[in-house]
Amino acid sequence: MVGPAQTHRLESGGLIDRAAPLSFRFDGKSFAGFQGDTLASALIANGVKLIGRSFKYHRPRGILTAGSEEPNALVELRSGARREPNTKATTAELYDGLEAASQNRWPSLRHDLMAVNQLFAPIFVAGFYYKTFMWPAKFWEAVYEPAIRRAAGLGRAAGVADPDHYDKAWAHCDVLIAGSGPAGLAAALAAGRSGARVILCEEDFAFGGRLLADGGTIDSLPAAEWISRTLAELAALPDIRIMNRTTLFGVYDGGTYGAIERVNDHLPSPPEHQVRQRLWRIVARRCVVAAGAIERPIVFAGNDTPGVMMASAMRTYVARYAAAPAKRIALSTNNADGWRTVETALAAGLQIAAVVDARPDVSAAHRALAAKAGFPVLSGSVNGVEGGKAGVRKIAISLTGGARAEVEADGLAVSGGWNPAVGLTSYHRGRPKWQDDIAAFVPDGAPPGMMAAGAANGAFGLGDCLRQGFAAGAAAAQSAGRSGNAGTPPVADDEAFSLTSLWHVAGKGKAFVDYQHDVTASDIELAQREGFESVEHLKRYTTLGMATDQGKTSNVAGLAIMATLSGKSIPETGTTIYRPPYVPVAIGAFAGHHRDENFHATRLTPSHHWAAEQGAVFVDTGLWKRAQWYPRAGEKDWLESVTREVKAVRSGVGFCDVSTLGKIDVHGPDAGAFLDRVYINTFSSLAVGKARYGLMLREDGIVYDDGTTSRLAEDHYFLTTTTAKAGLVMQHLEFCRQVLFPELDVQLTSVSDQWAQFSIAGPRTRDLLREIVDPAEDLSNEGFPFMGAREVSLRGGTRARLFRISFSGEMAFEISVPARYGDALVRNLMLAGKPFGVTPYGTEALGVMRIEKGHVAGPELNGTTTAADLGLGKMMSTKKDFIGRVMAGREALVAPDRQVVVGIKPTDKASRLRSGAHIIPKDKTPGPDNDQGYVTSVCFSPTLDQWIGLGLVECGRERIGEIVHTHDPLRGEDYDVELCSPVFYDPDGGRQRG
Amino acid sequence: MAEFSWIARSPLEHALVVGAHGARGTEAGVWLTEIRNFDLIQVMARRGKTAELAKAAQARFGVAAPETPKAVRVPDATLIWSGPDQFLVLSNAGKHAIEPLSQAFSQSASLSDQSHARVLISVSGEKARSMLAKLSSLDLHPAAFPVGTAAATSVDHTSINLWRGNDWPDGQAVFNLLVFATFAGSLWHTMLDAAAEYGVDIRHSEELA
Amino acid sequence: MRIVCPFCGERELGEFTYLGDARPVRPAAGSSEDEVFDYVYLRDNVAGPMSEYWYHGGGCRAWLKVARNTLTHEISSVEPAAGVGAAKVGA
Repeated sequence: MVGPAQTHRLESGGLIDRAAPLSFRFDGKSFAGFQGDTLASALIANGVKLIGRSFKYHRPRGILTAGSEEPNALVELRSGARREPNTKATTAELYDGLEAASQNRWPSLRHDLMAVNQLFAPIFVAGFYYKTFMWPAKFWEAVYEPAIRRAAGLGRAAGVADPDHYDKAWAHCDVLIAGSGPAGLAAALAAGRSGARVILCEEDFAFGGRLLADGGTIDSLPAAEWISRTLAELAALPDIRIMNRTTLFGVYDGGTYGAIERVNDHLPSPPEHQVRQRLWRIVARRCVVAAGAIERPIVFAGNDTPGVMMASAMRTYVARYAAAPAKRIALSTNNADGWRTVETALAAGLQIAAVVDARPDVSAAHRALAAKAGFPVLSGSVNGVEGGKAGVRKIAISLTGGARAEVEADGLAVSGGWNPAVGLTSYHRGRPKWQDDIAAFVPDGAPPGMMAAGAANGAFGLGDCLRQGFAAGAAAAQSAGRSGNAGTPPVADDEAFSLTSLWHVAGKGKAFVDYQHDVTASDIELAQREGFESVEHLKRYTTLGMATDQGKTSNVAGLAIMATLSGKSIPETGTTIYRPPYVPVAIGAFAGHHRDENFHATRLTPSHHWAAEQGAVFVDTGLWKRAQWYPRAGEKDWLESVTREVKAVRSGVGFCDVSTLGKIDVHGPDAGAFLDRVYINTFSSLAVGKARYGLMLREDGIVYDDGTTSRLAEDHYFLTTTTAKAGLVMQHLEFCRQVLFPELDVQLTSVSDQWAQFSIAGPRTRDLLREIVDPAEDLSNEGFPFMGAREVSLRGGTRARLFRISFSGEMAFEISVPARYGDALVRNLMLAGKPFGVTPYGTEALGVMRIEKGHVAGPELNGTTTAADLGLGKMMSTKKDFIGRVMAGREALVAPDRQVVVGIKPTDKASRLRSGAHIIPKDKTPGPDNDQGYVTSVCFSPTLDQWIGLGLVECGRERIGEIVHTHDPLRGEDYDVELCSPVFYDPDGGRQRG
Repeated sequence: MAEFSWIARSPLEHALVVGAHGARGTEAGVWLTEIRNFDLIQVMARRGKTAELAKAAQARFGVAAPETPKAVRVPDATLIWSGPDQFLVLSNAGKHAIEPLSQAFSQSASLSDQSHARVLISVSGEKARSMLAKLSSLDLHPAAFPVGTAAATSVDHTSINLWRGNDWPDGQAVFNLLVFATFAGSLWHTMLDAAAEYGVDIRHSEELA
Repeated sequence: MRIVCPFCGERELGEFTYLGDARPVRPAAGSSEDEVFDYVYLRDNVAGPMSEYWYHGGGCRAWLKVARNTLTHEISSVEPAAGVGAAKVGA
């Protein structure tokens, strides 16, 4: 059934399913189409010629091609959150209910006020923006750019989050084939029959490439039959994956390829649990590029008028989609292949107005065809098109010998020859080579493991494509180690291909080279006059080939025109560098699963679910979620909660999950010797059952990390790192073990996830522990002194490790149990601690107490500080070699005026400190000359009842008691502060040792 | 005196919901099973002790420890290669827990208990490979990754140990993943998302496959 | 890029971490500041074949010496660092 609206749908033929009618809307108007249509073919079937407005001049534009090279027919597809700008109507599959809108026009496509730009066309030449909007500089952001962005540009982004899902997957094969035209299918047959694992990617939803439109006879079968027979044979092979709607877009090192599969783009929205698109990373031993060739336009005035179309595209619409882009067609060609469009059009009952052929000799067969069908064959070239947004009306021809002619037509098919798709083969900085007989660039070598076949390799005859594809497939399988019998190649005749180069025909009016970026022949002339002759300069000066189509239809014509202007040959002029992706790939596909809460993996501590039950507020620290504080009903803000937690610890007992610390088992007879080399202090002398604080340097003498390391057995140390550096320290220690000190017998294992570790702190710590630890364990100061470390039994039999270490300055232990008991441990601590008012505390209270105690942490271990800067210089052993020892002694690292850690407290107790504030001597003007350091860490100290902080201050230790200024230009806050000892709390350490 | 209970809780206790997930079809394409309560000991050969370790392993398990990326099954344990000079011993019921193994390898290896550091997830079903292809860069084709192959690799930038166990009686391949415990919840969600389109059957078990 | 780990086989780049030039050797204890300075800071900016340290942290945790051409990314050899496989020393 042909719907009444489908004025340009042919009565019969095509690969559309007339039993499956679809309705769709374009610019708010309803149309009908069929399953098997693209948006472009359906618009053509409905007689729609005007699809969009051009980028710069807002010229009316129609459909130029029938594939992913389309520069003109870009639309906004779908609506709402799924609105996707700059989508090619030529590859968008039609579905029922599809909505599309034209772009870059206001208020409507037919009445675009911005078309006034055309009147100013003489000034919108290449380099216009560079030259015009230079002054005054401040006008750029305020005036020029917003105005230009409104006028120029493409579609509108949805502006809200994409509701669909994307994912990424890996695939592996022996032979990867790009394209399912005759060469690709023949390659798949040969490789598959040889026993290779094959992946065949086809960009289109249908398999067959040009065969779908051009037909032909292969193995004595009509092309369509051969395709289905071949697909059936391939499907029966054990290890072949055939993927349609999948574009191979990039080639990466080591035989890795990128492909984008449009899994559900052909549906209004993906079915539940399915993705919209999938990004494939394919690892292939060999790759056959059978991506075909792209027909190129001829540059002449008015070549962008709606109704001017590539000859191959026109016959694709007629033959594959049964949609007539025009009813009276003229052909402008410089090669024999263009004549196929005439044959196809005539077979479909369309009229041919004339053929304008630039070749000196037109074959007798073609002349006979013209005579029979009754249209003239004119020797010459088209040099102008009369028409407008309603389409082509008349064509002006410059005849060989200088005479002129005119032909009336409503469509003009153009063939300037074919460019093999050399993108993929040129991605590793490869340069294609020029081949004279087809006047095109062909691959000259390819990335390792890759070869081109068929039209992508410059073979334009059907028989040749099949032979090349088959040979490439067989060779690829062979070199991937698969040597089964490939059988015989498919056979077809070769058509003659003859061509006379024709790039640009002089004439009046704009002649477009790059349709999408509105680059004209005269822009290229201007670039040449102004000295931008190199193709890379030409590209950037004119923006030729820099649009989303990456110049698939324009690059070769552009550089051919430049070659003519500069008096060089085309190969001398050369090509720009080819870079992936071959087609635009949605950012969503690159992100895949990794968005929103899945942006990165999340690590949860063993007490996480318990903490969540308590209503803890969590903070992201690296990949971790850590309890930051535990708010209680009635508390008005975080400060109140944190203050309560600190006071509870200082006066009673509290606990905090510190499982995020990196934990490493260091084993082996040389474990002590190994630690002596990685820490600045000595560990080989540490007694079994004792812990020691250790500091590591980088080899350049700067502090790397710190932590407590315990000796659990003669040949077993348990090392802890900071949360932030856990992974890096493991990597560093493995480097030390495997590369720097291979002679040491030492083994390392991360046990970060094996142990749930909690800090229990406060004067009543022992009371709490006695409830939970087996009564037989001696926890007294004598039985378990400060810095003791050993395994104990808990009531109920669970084994645990206890470390008498303190970060808070209080009497404290760290207790660790195998991680799956972590949840039980916190619950038991709460139960056992009830009589003592045990209080869970978060990272904020932990931070407050470490600042009160003057312990350094991340803000002080900032990649610029030395051990001495942190007040830990005395830990540096002079009796042994260790990483960073020599460089730590460098002049600048031991200079007396270095910024060192000091305590800071405002002279006015009511003032608030800010970390990041600069330290300025009193009575000096803030500025770089007077900058003496900065505040690294601050907190409100419940113990001192005021804000306190740590800072890195020039000569800080000699300046204790001095009043300086903190200057915070960001917040506009300046305070007088006193430099003091960093240990605000219990300076003699009596509490933690008690 | 308070009564303490020491219940071991899997890191997946909250994330794992037994039953069906994702697309509902005739049969789930992916089966995800968490295996709980196992002993997992990392055995690392000491310098120059390859021969002694081999002897000790032979004495303990009746087989040589794997020296290449393989998983070797013996009646009461699986020995999984995890890197040069090291392997994991996976077992349950305490027979090859840290204490007995420490004695067996006292002269030849350093041992580290990883029983609580990892979560063990078994993936099978007709679509297991399709689902794993979204997570793993490895080639899990039957010919490239036969039964008994092991790999130390990464999923979602997180280290895992992956090995192919014995096929189910119906011929379905079984892939075992040891993932770090604190990452497990997050990885579990990633696995569910990857498998949702195929339909998932979720369960947990205490039996080592 | 893909690197053939001598222990794990061919793996994708994401499993590896790059360190840099594998030629500088850490000076022995007692070396001068100048020697250590050179070791820490002095690097050639090689255009061509280079020996590099890579860490297979996303796999078997072996440090590897990779011979890679910085112009083509072609990898000609991969060997374990000296301390990997120490269990076999003297065996």
